[in-house]
Amino acid sequence: MMRRIALVLAAPMLAIVIALAVSSVFLLLADVSPAEAYGSMLSYGTEADSLVSMFNRAIPLYISALAVAVGFQMGLFNIGVEGQYRIAAVVAAGLGAKLSLPGPLHVGAIFVIAVVIGMAWIAIPAILKVTRGVHEVIATIMMNAISFGITAWLLGGPLKATSSGSSLILGTDQLPESARFPTLNWLVEGLGVEMRPGSNLDGFLVVAVLLGVAYYVLVWRTRFGYEVRASGHNRSAAEVAGINPKAVVLKTLFLSGGVAGLIGLSYLLGSSPYRYDTGFPQQYGFTGIAVALLGRNHPIGIAIGALLFGFMERSSQILDLDDIPKEIVVIMQGVIVISVVIAYELVRRYRQTQQETAVTKATDLSPHEATA
Amino acid sequence: MAPRDKPSGGQAVELRGITKRFPGVVANHDVNLSVARGEIHAIVGENGAGKSTLMKTLYGMHQPDEGAIIIEGETCQLRSPNDAIALGIGMVHQHFMLADNFTVLENIILGGEPTHGPVLDRAGAQKRIVELAQRYGFPVDPDALVEDLGVGDRQRVEILKVLYRGARTLILDEPTAVLVPHEVDELFRNLRDLVDEGVTVIFISHKLDEVLSIADSITVIRAGTTVTTVDPGSVTAHELAELMVGSELPTPETRESTVTTIEQLRLSGVTIRTPEGRPLIEDISFAVHRGEVVGIAGVEGNGQHELISAILGTHGLDHGTVTFAGDDITRLSTRRRRELGLGYIPQDRHREGLLLDAPLWENAMLGHQARAPFSRGPWLDRAGAKRRTAEIVADFDVRTPGVDVPAFALSGGNQQKLIVGREMSADPSLLVAAHPTRGIDVGAQAAVWEQLREARSAGLAVLLISADLEELIGLSDRLLVIYGGRLVAELDPAQVTAQELGSHMTGAGHRGTTA
Repeated sequence: MMRRIALVLAAPMLAIVIALAVSSVFLLLADVSPAEAYGSMLSYGTEADSLVSMFNRAIPLYISALAVAVGFQMGLFNIGVEGQYRIAAVVAAGLGAKLSLPGPLHVGAIFVIAVVIGMAWIAIPAILKVTRGVHEVIATIMMNAISFGITAWLLGGPLKATSSGSSLILGTDQLPESARFPTLNWLVEGLGVEMRPGSNLDGFLVVAVLLGVAYYVLVWRTRFGYEVRASGHNRSAAEVAGINPKAVVLKTLFLSGGVAGLIGLSYLLGSSPYRYDTGFPQQYGFTGIAVALLGRNHPIGIAIGALLFGFMERSSQILDLDDIPKEIVVIMQGVIVISVVIAYELVRRYRQTQQETAVTKATDLSPHEATA
Repeated sequence: MAPRDKPSGGQAVELRGITKRFPGVVANHDVNLSVARGEIHAIVGENGAGKSTLMKTLYGMHQPDEGAIIIEGETCQLRSPNDAIALGIGMVHQHFMLADNFTVLENIILGGEPTHGPVLDRAGAQKRIVELAQRYGFPVDPDALVEDLGVGDRQRVEILKVLYRGARTLILDEPTAVLVPHEVDELFRNLRDLVDEGVTVIFISHKLDEVLSIADSITVIRAGTTVTTVDPGSVTAHELAELMVGSELPTPETRESTVTTIEQLRLSGVTIRTPEGRPLIEDISFAVHRGEVVGIAGVEGNGQHELISAILGTHGLDHGTVTFAGDDITRLSTRRRRELGLGYIPQDRHREGLLLDAPLWENAMLGHQARAPFSRGPWLDRAGAKRRTAEIVADFDVRTPGVDVPAFALSGGNQQKLIVGREMSADPSLLVAAHPTRGIDVGAQAAVWEQLREARSAGLAVLLISADLEELIGLSDRLLVIYGGRLVAELDPAQVTAQELGSHMTGAGHRGTTA
């Protein structure tokens, strides 16, 4: 058991070491002492406020990676998470601001809108895939480009703010109090940690955790999850086993798109200015792919990956103050993802040999009874 | 030790007292092997007997813990396959390792490309390959794309590739597992030509008839050690099989007929065409009754695959109907058909039968995932699934340390026993068995035959699709021959000989059909 855990951890640890080494080279090229840079990142990154920020940053990445991982289970590559969450967020923000409902219902309505839009946006690639055989990578990338355009148009037209705010910033109306998500500051304070005024632990953390649990249960504990994994593993075998590949593709992609719809809500419902505007965070969809790879599509692994990325992004903020280019963190993230893929493959091969040996051993030791 | 004398003389390969331990286990123990130069030396043994460990030792994929490897009189250390290749030992793997989108020439030179400076010397390579092909009597077109080649041709490309690297001793791992009878004959002719040119062939197999017909000497390996080396002229297939498993063996013959008059499956006028309208199977009509085994004989690629798809429902029909126990199932999904009691043993267990990286218990529920004890409503019942898997493992003699082991770790025979157990324990009313004993050893083969026979007498209807003529004749109550997508003959297995059946399969025994 210990051995298994050690093996599981070996790959990501190895990847981080390689990433640190490669980043050091770049830091040295920039005439910066790696030890100093890493040291200040570490000390800044572990401050209470930074840790809270790490969690807040990890939440959308986690949900994004789950959306990607659902597809991976079936061997589908949903690159369109970026477009799905952005269009879902803008519509949820715009329509949500026009609704007036009591608190929990209002939030619930926004959730439903976001999920429905996320699913609707992936419906086109999904249907193209099962009816015409169009590869989902191509279709979802195209849909990204279209969604960026439509998002801009919605912001400038149908969903444009009606109330007079700052007219310089293009955005939707601000969401009313009833649509906002509570913070988890009580939890942080309960732990006796002091936060700077103005910083919050995002309440969406609860949603992320629940999604992670739901993902685990769905994939590993239900028949549907089994059928998804079986189709992802070996499509022909699944097909002759009575698993309709098209139905599974459709359901998996809709699920992926629905989860993707929720990514933007942590920011939208949890932080000022409570609306979708031109400053709305981007790239969660693409980073989510890296996090899913890093976490091996496992809910715990993805959580660790998301927290790691959150930590790196937060702690890199200090580098600017020290006149160190903080883009070094992007290099680190990239190297981590590449080396983790390689390291997992090495570990996988090692385990495969181990298991084959174990079986040979067990079967050779069993008495060679006559086969009847 | 009595290898037949060859004029060339000398030993190509000799292994003395080879022992190979893996942590906690001895995979090979005191293995002795002496292969004379220019002979075809067969190594036979059950799956898991240690053949592959031995071959990996000889091909430098791992080092033995004890013993000596002597190649052409010199004791040597093989640290990697490259060392083995440098000493003239080449290996042709059971699963082909060719790039489909490359030509024959490109595949052969891959990894050892001849160059003029930075430029690929295509002409030089072409010349050498043509020379090699002529010398050994291999008809290949160097410019053909591998994806357009049949199985037999691909195998020749693999062999040429090894010869191109300068191999003088060829190791062939189960070379006939993927071939149909006439391709086997062709391979054997090629091997004879090779041997005449002084190449030594080590031939791993468990098809004993073939071994007896091709080998100059046969070494039997059992439970990790070499048992004996025999002269093929002095043993029968049966004696050889008993040496391999160390016990008496059953034969495939079914005894008394258990055929009933109740129709389990009927196909009427079933036709499947390509999108261009060319028929893949045409106007196929037959019935399988409870307690009956209907054998479909045919050279691969004559419509067997489409016939199976029509029954499983994985391919729509252009024409015709399929009825199951009297009900029309032509429009039912595969899932509904499986739930009605349609069992399937696929011909390619890796492609259609298993989730290789998944644990055995997940494999045991494949195709039966919607029923107890594997699931309850929408939830998987992991405990139930593991319990049932353990029962299958016990009842069908699947040799594995547990049910959490991934399927790839099992030997081919044990994987097949798991599939057979999975289908049989679901209590099917019709079983479609495609090549159920392909590529598995005699012990497992006998077990599978026994299972089929037992289920048949309990009233199971079986459609057996096979290329093994002995198996077809031995197990079937009725034989149908498929050729060019049509059923061209119905034969009584009690009357027909393998030769007659073979000629029907190639269309020779039948006049008046389109070729």
